[in-house]
Amino acid sequence: MGFKQYDKQTFIADSAAAFASRRITKREFLRRMGLAGIGFSAFSMAMLGNTRPFRNPGLVSRANAALPDDQVKFLKEVGGQFKGARIRYTSEATPPTVVLNQIKNEFTDLTGIEVEVEIVPLEQVLAKATQDVQGQLGTYDLYYLDQSWVATFAPDCVDPVELYNSNPDLAMPGFDWDDFSEPLVEGLARYNGKLVGVPFDIPIFVLMYRKDLLEKHGIAVPTNYEEFTKAAHAIYDAEKANGVFGTGLQAKSGHYSLECDWTQAVWGHGGSIFRPDKTFAGNDEQGIKGLEWYQDLLTVAPPNSTAATWDGQFQMMQSGQVALVQSWDEFFPGLDADDSKVKGLWEPAKPLQSSVGLRSVSEAGFGEIPNLGHQGGSIMGLSAYSKNQEAAWIFMQWACSKEIMTQCTLAGGFAPMRESSFADERVKAKAKVMPGTTRHLDIVKWTIDNVMASEPDMPLWAGLSTNEIPTELGKLLTGQAYGGSAKACMDAVAKIVDSKVKEAEL
Amino acid sequence: MAERMEISIAGDGSMRRPGRLNLRHILSSEHPLPWLFPVTAVLIAFGVYPLLYALWLSLHKRNPVTRLSVFDPDWNWVKILGDERVWNAIGNTYLYTGIAIFVELVLGLAIALLLDSDRKGYGVLRALMTLPLVVPPAVTGMMFLLMLDGSFGVLSRTLYALGLWSPAYPILATSSTALFGILLADIWQWTPFMVLIMMAGLRALPKEPFEAAAIDGASATQAFFRLTLPMLSRIIALAVLIRGVDLFRIYDYIKVMTEGGPGTATETLTAYAGTIYFKNADFPYASTIALLTLILLLITSAMFIKIFKVRF
Repeated sequence: MGFKQYDKQTFIADSAAAFASRRITKREFLRRMGLAGIGFSAFSMAMLGNTRPFRNPGLVSRANAALPDDQVKFLKEVGGQFKGARIRYTSEATPPTVVLNQIKNEFTDLTGIEVEVEIVPLEQVLAKATQDVQGQLGTYDLYYLDQSWVATFAPDCVDPVELYNSNPDLAMPGFDWDDFSEPLVEGLARYNGKLVGVPFDIPIFVLMYRKDLLEKHGIAVPTNYEEFTKAAHAIYDAEKANGVFGTGLQAKSGHYSLECDWTQAVWGHGGSIFRPDKTFAGNDEQGIKGLEWYQDLLTVAPPNSTAATWDGQFQMMQSGQVALVQSWDEFFPGLDADDSKVKGLWEPAKPLQSSVGLRSVSEAGFGEIPNLGHQGGSIMGLSAYSKNQEAAWIFMQWACSKEIMTQCTLAGGFAPMRESSFADERVKAKAKVMPGTTRHLDIVKWTIDNVMASEPDMPLWAGLSTNEIPTELGKLLTGQAYGGSAKACMDAVAKIVDSKVKEAEL
Repeated sequence: MAERMEISIAGDGSMRRPGRLNLRHILSSEHPLPWLFPVTAVLIAFGVYPLLYALWLSLHKRNPVTRLSVFDPDWNWVKILGDERVWNAIGNTYLYTGIAIFVELVLGLAIALLLDSDRKGYGVLRALMTLPLVVPPAVTGMMFLLMLDGSFGVLSRTLYALGLWSPAYPILATSSTALFGILLADIWQWTPFMVLIMMAGLRALPKEPFEAAAIDGASATQAFFRLTLPMLSRIIALAVLIRGVDLFRIYDYIKVMTEGGPGTATETLTAYAGTIYFKNADFPYASTIALLTLILLLITSAMFIKIFKVRF
């Protein structure tokens, strides 16, 4: 990885590149430079890291162009009633949000409703949303809600289907709720029978491999954890002199990315995070095996893996540093980008099978779904405290409509939420080696439909998954504590988690 | 007094109706109250109120499920005593502060002695020394994050090339070295601050004792230890106090470079408070940690002032 290449991750360089390629306006460029130069506080600086590794290959040209006539009429006539209203949406820089931020003016053109999309790092989204609902302030009309927060914010969001049915005057024609992928609706958006929002983003773990390296060493594409481990070690042994590692990890201590890797490892070895009695299960036999497997992988991964989040992991892949990775499908379109050193060399495959079988949902706790493909999706939630709820609701329907969601996928190559988007001919036409490719989407759809796994639905999960669990894992993986013993680490995590669950009287 | 309240005579001798504000009267008043009021109001709004609010918050227990905070004055303060991460953070805070102060002071004094000259070009050097101070700390953190990157960072690669460090242990991703990586950024940025203060102190020293010492045959080393250091002691104590207070609240570099990790190896009190606030949304507990930071800072500062007899 060259310095120049890595440097492109930085805010200023990214902004300049985006401006040069006309992906952002001059005004937006100047705004970002102002932010960089004047207000580079630690918070704005935090935006430099931990953002999702999404490379938007270009602006969507006239997203409304293919919008059905009845929807355009609805937006003009019904949305127009709220002309002048200003709605706010806070989100992490997820691929759909980035695209939505670019095309929001087209919504304003039709309705006169102003939209402000505030893009901040994940933890700040959580803090802002938490403060907003705590005081029932209605500062934000729409929330980005990570799947791990849905239970926490369920009481603060309006059920969109209920609202659609109860208020036909504000219901967008042809919205077609049944078109949403059923596993996504159930796995992401529903909590205790209530639909908390609309599925909006679905990064999910799939296997990705360098076909040239596997062919060079005569290694078959791994299908299970044992084969993956053997392949990663074999490639590391053969290629380490060339600076190529078996795999790359997103093992940054204290970061949600490490928790996601760990969860996938535990599930893949037949374990779960919780038991049905709501006690922590990560310290049982399967959980320990999963963590020990992860510790072993670290020996064939770049040493910097323990400082990397998903962004760093993507860089390892894009710079040709690693050969096999089981991680977010969202990386894939960027791997075929023009600035990728490995354009066209990565291939997607189904997530690794578990050799010992999976733990069933009934054997886990808090609605956890152990399976092969860890999902890190998010939903768009309509605030129950919004002061512009009608205007926000109209925007939400526009943003989640068939055409706009398909346009978002076309712009970034990431997985859509709707069945019709997967089947769209324009999306299929991009299933070839090119920036923003969609050639991984068949694998993604199979994973969503068949083996999608979900983390527990519980109000404490937002904190546990971003602080306590990845921090203790970080202590183990970087040698600060536990003397390399996965069991000791998991026992410590069990003690912390169980005491918090007990304290919260869950 | 009551009479003065009812009728007063303005500066120009005209009668003034009671109960009405007269700007000219206020501006010409010698009473301190009108002059103290604006700054007092600002202090109360931005200093006292947040402090009292933090104290009030710390006396509540937050239920993460209902999100309601109930008055429970012991809860957070008992919890903080049993929280291992708090004790670890206290240790890291003192370690970070101590090392940074020592290195910055020694380097600052040494550089100030080198630059304490009126020869041509030294003015430019002194001006250049101050440049790191104008860089925002978060940007400095990012610069050092890149320079210490395990794969391509220029500092890391130099250490690898010299055989002084192994690529297997990236400085910021290894628990035993991460804190020192952050200290590099701090020292680079804040040593010039010490240089400036020491330079001002050196320039203010009287010349006569040094001339007398030179006549008596004292060496430069003797003059430094017997004259310069004792005469600078007040300045040094003040500089340590000011810088120490700043270091105790360190957040920017840690947030940008390690977020308190690996594990909790670089987690200071402020970093931990930030984590609890942003990630766990436990506002009362985060306030309690922040207040603990303030209490420790006050105690440490008071002890320092007493021991080293700092006078303002």
